[in-house]
Amino acid sequence: MSYTRVPYLQVHTKILKITLLLALLGGAFLVLFLFNPSQHSFFLPCPFKFVTGYNCPGCGSQRALHQLAHGNIQTAFFLNPLLILSLPLLIYSLGLKLWNYLFETVHRVRLFYSNLFIFSYFGIAIAYWIFRNLPIYPFVK
Amino acid sequence: MESSHNAASVPPDNNLVWAILCTVLCCIPFGIVSILKANKVNTLWAQGDHVGARKAASDAKKWAIWGAIIGPLAIIIFYVIIFVIYAGAIFASTY
Repeated sequence: MSYTRVPYLQVHTKILKITLLLALLGGAFLVLFLFNPSQHSFFLPCPFKFVTGYNCPGCGSQRALHQLAHGNIQTAFFLNPLLILSLPLLIYSLGLKLWNYLFETVHRVRLFYSNLFIFSYFGIAIAYWIFRNLPIYPFVK
Repeated sequence: MESSHNAASVPPDNNLVWAILCTVLCCIPFGIVSILKANKVNTLWAQGDHVGARKAASDAKKWAIWGAIIGPLAIIIFYVIIFVIYAGAIFASTY
């Protein structure tokens, strides 16, 4: 990548963007902490669930994040295990992206460069999509 | 994680994070495009086609950005349409 460097402006935009990001994340956390999505209707439900009545692999994420914000890891896990299990990986890779942006490094998450990982992760997501809608014990709707 | 200052030895960012985020936040259609692009980046890079891998990576980034814009927009438009239908039904039923 080639670009002309304007150090002051660059640092300035970086600070601005980080502040915006923190404000957005903080706001989202506050809303999810204060209001339980299963009791308040102003949260946007999943369009797939709204139309078909079935759960998608992402359904329950908002409720799970609300429980997680209150420290109820087990409740959160039962609401959406896929999200809870992906969360460490998501935080790590997004953190690494932020680090790369701030310090102009090119660190990569090794796992993401394995096509075996990609296929297994999305295979699990699709399998979870199907199984969570079946009326079998751990996957009650 | 790999750290190197030699840009030639580091594969381009395949943006798989956004694909995973799309999956857990219910934007599956965009997630699928992101997955396929990320997959292509890896395959081309492994084959030694570094130019092709960079091209695929920039496509992946474009899709990730469009997904982030179109996904929430589509959901909002969807609810506006539903709201208009409901409002119309309630309005019609009062007569």
